[in-house]
Amino acid sequence: MGLGDLLPGGGTQRSEGGLGGFGAGGPTFLTTKIDWVVNWGRRNSLWPMPFGTACCAIEMMAAAASNFDLARFGMERMSFSPRQADVLICAGRVPYKLAPVLRRIWDQMPQPKWCVSMGACASSGGVFDVYSMVQGIDTIVPVDVYVPGCPPRPEGLIYGLMMIQEKIRQESLAKHFEHRAEDPARVAEPEAGEEEIVGLTGPFGNSTRQEKLSDGGVVRAPDPGDDLPL
Amino acid sequence: MTDRPFSGLDAVERGPLPSDASATPSTASLDGTSDHPSVAGLKGRFGDAIQGHRLTAGDQTVVWVDPSRSLETLTWLKDDPGQLYDMMSDVTGVDYGNGRPVEVVYQMFSTTHKRALRVRCKLPLDALEIDSVVGLWQSANWLEREVYDLFGVTFKGHPDLRRILMPQDYAEGYPLRKDFPLRGRFTRAEQTRRALAQDVGRFYGAEELVEGGEPQQVFAKPASEAGEER
Amino acid sequence: MATRTVELEVGRNPEMVIDGRPALSPLRPFDVQEPDLGTEEMLINIGPQHPATHGVLRLICELDGETVMSVTPDIGFLHSSFEKLGEYRTWNQIVPLTDRMDYLAPLIYNCAYVMAVEKLMGIEVTERCKVVRVICMELDRVFGHLLWLGTTAIDVGAFTPFLYAFQQREKIYELHESLTGARITTSATRVGGMMADLPEGWLDGLLDFLEEFPKTLAEIDRLLTGNQIHIGRTQGVGVIGAADAINCGLTGPNLRAAGVDYDVRKDRPYYDYETYDFEVPVGEHGDCYDRYLCRMEEMRQSVRILHQAMARLPAGPINVEDPDISLPSKTDCMSDMESMIHHFKLITEGIPAPEGDCYMAIEGSKGELGMYVVAEEGGTKPVRWRIRPPSFVNLSVIPRLAEGHLVSDLIMINASLDIVLGEIDR
Repeated sequence: MGLGDLLPGGGTQRSEGGLGGFGAGGPTFLTTKIDWVVNWGRRNSLWPMPFGTACCAIEMMAAAASNFDLARFGMERMSFSPRQADVLICAGRVPYKLAPVLRRIWDQMPQPKWCVSMGACASSGGVFDVYSMVQGIDTIVPVDVYVPGCPPRPEGLIYGLMMIQEKIRQESLAKHFEHRAEDPARVAEPEAGEEEIVGLTGPFGNSTRQEKLSDGGVVRAPDPGDDLPL
Repeated sequence: MTDRPFSGLDAVERGPLPSDASATPSTASLDGTSDHPSVAGLKGRFGDAIQGHRLTAGDQTVVWVDPSRSLETLTWLKDDPGQLYDMMSDVTGVDYGNGRPVEVVYQMFSTTHKRALRVRCKLPLDALEIDSVVGLWQSANWLEREVYDLFGVTFKGHPDLRRILMPQDYAEGYPLRKDFPLRGRFTRAEQTRRALAQDVGRFYGAEELVEGGEPQQVFAKPASEAGEER
Repeated sequence: MATRTVELEVGRNPEMVIDGRPALSPLRPFDVQEPDLGTEEMLINIGPQHPATHGVLRLICELDGETVMSVTPDIGFLHSSFEKLGEYRTWNQIVPLTDRMDYLAPLIYNCAYVMAVEKLMGIEVTERCKVVRVICMELDRVFGHLLWLGTTAIDVGAFTPFLYAFQQREKIYELHESLTGARITTSATRVGGMMADLPEGWLDGLLDFLEEFPKTLAEIDRLLTGNQIHIGRTQGVGVIGAADAINCGLTGPNLRAAGVDYDVRKDRPYYDYETYDFEVPVGEHGDCYDRYLCRMEEMRQSVRILHQAMARLPAGPINVEDPDISLPSKTDCMSDMESMIHHFKLITEGIPAPEGDCYMAIEGSKGELGMYVVAEEGGTKPVRWRIRPPSFVNLSVIPRLAEGHLVSDLIMINASLDIVLGEIDR
């Protein structure tokens, strides 16, 4: 057992030559340099898609204004069209009525794309464990970085964006098809499966006690015989 | 029902406090006098349509009006030169729970006489309808729609009575009623599935934008049909 | 009483007829016989994700070319059910919820809510607390108007006022942070007082801000008020008459621009506003330009009120000295048994309210902000907490304002109404 066994490609890397193609064996000198250049370009010119809904949107605007200035990170141009954006910053609470809009915006963004969930409400529902609020956008879109806070300070958002930059720095074109694959059949579908949603969004803390009704009844799913409006 | 406040944890567990059905806050001074000029005028003119009045929070006058005569009472309050309540600040509903009537509350202000008045109408749970006042005050248009959306009160004669805050095909009921649980009736997974199955453009064909007379009933498509459509 | 109307001499474009319709549509040819084309109206959708809707608002427009035949707002994309959540929280636990509704002027909401609860409970706050709350509310009025100014200017293409306004807002953020610990979600008030008294040097910081701010406001004024592009975009656009405005429930600068001098601070005064010397600007044309002028002048008047409030700030306790309402100090809790028991009861049980209901209206930055609380005897949580949001009623007027205008005017009208979706959707 030599060192060669520990290298990706099982030690055949050297024998394939330093100019091996992408996906064949492991990273090579050329591919790492190209990776480096591509990732440098991508991470320093991210165009954010600001999906701002509530208070976090104001902090995002403050991060873009002169005092904290996102422009020095290359995010000068807030792209309001998803077709031209790289990173979706979901800033603020997302109710179920807005969920299809968020998913559609995410689907409309071309690869490579990343997602930042800014604030407690976007990450987990925040203070709003209520009938109308999505309990975390990761049930709907795949999230790369979560920025906690209510609202996070602009410095917090900047740190989150720097984490995205760090993530991009470590990407590799060799894994491009793996990372950037999107199944067209999953367009407009929730990101998390049903059991996962139930697991992610179960009540905790105070919410465990807030399922009682005022007349002492127990919460139950509606029956076909219930007189509910449709 | 209670003669002491609950401890905090009990209170959270118990949920919204049910009201003691025997203690009625209303009709506290049916025959008493009031300094408020509108009360005397109302009692003199409408007699038994006025179910009671009281002074609350120090200096605020509340009048209970029979809902079947609410339109004529409010018309008089708007048009009579001694009353002239030209501004309808707010229309809202209050559900006390436990089978008690739902009350529709009107907050009015007169810019000429600089007076405020609150009118409340009690609606029994099996007859949740009342005349709309949109013909008198345009501000009631959206306010009444919201009461319909969140309480299920039908406003007869409203030009465009449909849901305003919840999605048009919201099937879980009327959220602000006391028998509606905080986290909604469906599971989170079901809520997410229904949310993403919405087609936000479905409800607004050109013909639907014309204001209709009936509350628009829209039936949620079952999952299989929605999948086929896409 | 001082006069309430502020008049400003500005050249108006004589070709814009002030009855709500432009006299000359720049896109309509006037000396060419148009062929008889069969046309259809186009239905387009603005939002809910759109930079110019100021939040998640969806406007469904029927267009004839570029002219808006009708516009239907679709709201509810930010519905967070604050009102139902409030039914599960004690009186003081609701205060952090109030910041998240109008996140552009959170202190106003904090104050409005506790004022309604205190009125219901019959609690009279201390003199110092009243003046501090007036300072908070006027500061946040400026705060909210500055954001409105920046975003409205940027909607019509002026980027510089946005940056100037946000630079000033950063200073107010710093004041918020030193007072409450948070920039936006302040939660500064409690039933019976404030979460904490003004820290050392806060008033000096406020004074520094009040000295610098009018200069920046004057700069923005120079950039926008006499600017022919801005005038062309706003004069005669989105006109509403006075009687219509009252009937539709418009309040705040939107109402005053239409010529109605209704200001809750003057007509239903609270916290000694009748003793402060300030004027309320009232417009006459009811168009976007008058709404702009009203808000600019309101900012200057708020600066005046702030100076007066700082001058009259009395010493004394900030919280009501009733152990059943205000938390005792930590040192007392740790040394005195009774204080500890009061602290425990207040935190675990909350403050019991008398039976009744209370509607408290104040002049928020967007208009008449009403808080309606219904309680039952001994209740530590509301039976019903209702917020009467000014922007909700203001937005309902937009179909009437925008009919017949161009799409770009619709954007301007939407901006001039100063709406915040957090309070519309609650």
